[in-house]
Amino acid sequence: MKKLVALLLVLMLGLSAFSAMAEGEKTKIVFWYSLGGTNSEVIANMVAEFNASQDRIEVDAQYQGEYDDAINKLKATSMGEALPFDIVQSYEIGSRFIIDSQKMMPLQTYIDKTGFDTSVIEPNLLAYYTIDGKINSMPFNCSTPLMYYNKTAFEEAGITEIPTTVDGILAIAEKLASFDAEGKLDRAGFLFSNYGWFFEQWVGKMGRQYVDNGNGREGYATKVMFGENGAALDLFNMWKKISESPYTSYIERGGTAQARAAFVAGKTAIFLASTANLAGVLANVGDSFEVGTAYFPYVNAEDKGGVSTGGGTLWMVNSGDEKKMDATWEFIQYMVSPEVQATWNAKTGYFPINMKAHDTETFKANIAKFPQFQTALDQLHDSSPEYVGSLLSVFPEVRQYVEDVTEEVVLKGLSPEDAVTKLVNLANDAIEMYNLTNY
Amino acid sequence: MSQHPLNLRRRKKTFYEMLEPWLFLLPALLVFVVFLYYPFFKTIHLSTYLTDRNGLPKVFYGVKNYEDILVGKYSAAFWNSMWVSFRFVFFVAFGSLLVGLATSLMTTKKFPARAFASAIYAMPIAIASAAAAMSFKMIFHPSIGLVNRLAGTSTNWLNDPAWAFPIICLISIWLASGINFIFISAGLRNIPEELYESAAIDGAGYWRQQRHITLPALSPTLFFQIIINIISAFQSFTQVRLLTSGGPNETTNVIVYSIYLDAFRNFRFGSAAARSIVLFVIIMTITLLQFRAEKRSVHYQ
Repeated sequence: MKKLVALLLVLMLGLSAFSAMAEGEKTKIVFWYSLGGTNSEVIANMVAEFNASQDRIEVDAQYQGEYDDAINKLKATSMGEALPFDIVQSYEIGSRFIIDSQKMMPLQTYIDKTGFDTSVIEPNLLAYYTIDGKINSMPFNCSTPLMYYNKTAFEEAGITEIPTTVDGILAIAEKLASFDAEGKLDRAGFLFSNYGWFFEQWVGKMGRQYVDNGNGREGYATKVMFGENGAALDLFNMWKKISESPYTSYIERGGTAQARAAFVAGKTAIFLASTANLAGVLANVGDSFEVGTAYFPYVNAEDKGGVSTGGGTLWMVNSGDEKKMDATWEFIQYMVSPEVQATWNAKTGYFPINMKAHDTETFKANIAKFPQFQTALDQLHDSSPEYVGSLLSVFPEVRQYVEDVTEEVVLKGLSPEDAVTKLVNLANDAIEMYNLTNY
Repeated sequence: MSQHPLNLRRRKKTFYEMLEPWLFLLPALLVFVVFLYYPFFKTIHLSTYLTDRNGLPKVFYGVKNYEDILVGKYSAAFWNSMWVSFRFVFFVAFGSLLVGLATSLMTTKKFPARAFASAIYAMPIAIASAAAAMSFKMIFHPSIGLVNRLAGTSTNWLNDPAWAFPIICLISIWLASGINFIFISAGLRNIPEELYESAAIDGAGYWRQQRHITLPALSPTLFFQIIINIISAFQSFTQVRLLTSGGPNETTNVIVYSIYLDAFRNFRFGSAAARSIVLFVIIMTITLLQFRAEKRSVHYQ
């Protein structure tokens, strides 16, 4: 009997030691993300909090540069066999490419397995990221383009009605602009960055399609539509008008950083940028003037479309390692949980993808303090799933061509008609080459 | 069959003796094969294909990639990149050489702040081009930049087709001037002082001394440095990537940047490979021409 008890004791000891060992062994997952600056710190904090909140999973967050850089690294690594990460953040226009690369686990599998309630996710986002009938990646940082304006300057100029179209902006630019003693533009009426994302958004705001096959959602896109449906012509005509205005100047291409710096310094009364800039702009401007936000402007007064989402989603690598993939799913769920998304919204300006975040104190306190955040939400809710935006494998490339050709219209005086022909040819050639070698 | 007398003492080499020289060569050969020859032949191979999204050769395309870039649909952009590259290389290679030469001549004689001045002139060597590019981006910012503040202008330097190229050149010259300064300074210190003394006794002034002593005696250094400058200028990438992304209107789209775009943005490795082969042929031709010129104008002691 004594022996039996001793044996049992030893066995129990051994077992508990074994389970303690198993507990001590954390599942490590690597997270590639692409947000720089203050947003990067926010992500690092969120990851640190997740790691501290439990003792089974350890997330190693690694910054990989801008979206373009990250997707290039992804392309380069996907040539080899194993990917050196378990979860990656990528931008919306990389979706088609990533799905095609077949290295990722569609999250639908995990959603079904664990009964994750997708009804809490903003419906317009869900529509964008439901591809081939399933959710492939989890929306995480989502934004729409906004018009930021200098409220103080508007009041000084006696402007009470906030313009909703580009023509409306052009009309008030004269009142907002100021010139120095030598007659040089000191404060621009508005500054529009030459950013391919805006082109896509404007096509959506017109309610037109970017590519064929139901905007690339019913089948692989085989050509661009913005040539034949007139969207590109309207946009290049708009840019031509802008380039002729003495109350603005050409600021930059490929992003909005320069326009934002000018706005913060009071050198332009209006600029366009993603909602993700909101927290940063408000912090940078401080008390020097009041910042207003409004919907992204229409190109034509009769346009009836809406904005689509920009930003990024989280993708799970199909590593075949169940333990890691389960851990990744747990981390993804944490990242989109109401409280985390509310904090994310307050600290960045990306809107909460989880609608339950609206009920949290963090969200309520923030929106009371900065009502400007409400504009981004309203704009998203005013849009509808039919303007979800297109899917195209060579999106990053086409976006560059859009910027190239726009630049020629503005700086070289290329006629809008020729610009459309040039852009359509470049884009269709890129699509044709990709489809030829990949499908 | 009579043996030649000289061969009388030759015995058959042992296996080890035959192997020995190859063993000595092996490490170097391995490095060359893995990092130079294999990629080189792989590039030629790739340049005859269209690649899929994973960069794997998919559709055999023959010389069509070359045709597309030299005379076909990408030719306008390609020749523009070439033209931009050549002007860029010319200005940067000679510009940084001149700056390096001038700064090192200024610091040959002893003067109170010589060490400080030398440190300033050599400093660009220690600055990462990415960090420099980001600083210059703010310096040339259209509305809050230092240059516009000081000059009272409102030029959008980096987005103005007339200005972007000269500014990229200036920044690159400055970045490359540090290494030029160091090599040329070292070269200057190797010139025997007696040459200058005897020239001075013969009545030669400062410029005459530089023209007839410094330049000939320094010519091996200058020759070496110009080759290095040309090659590194051809490879300049960071400044273009960060400051202008090849724009505005392709005015700063140097060939290396266009290869990068083709390979890593468009993922057309075939076409990018063809571009790099063309670039290779050009750099090789230039280098051969330089070595021919070397025979005439470079003096080794």
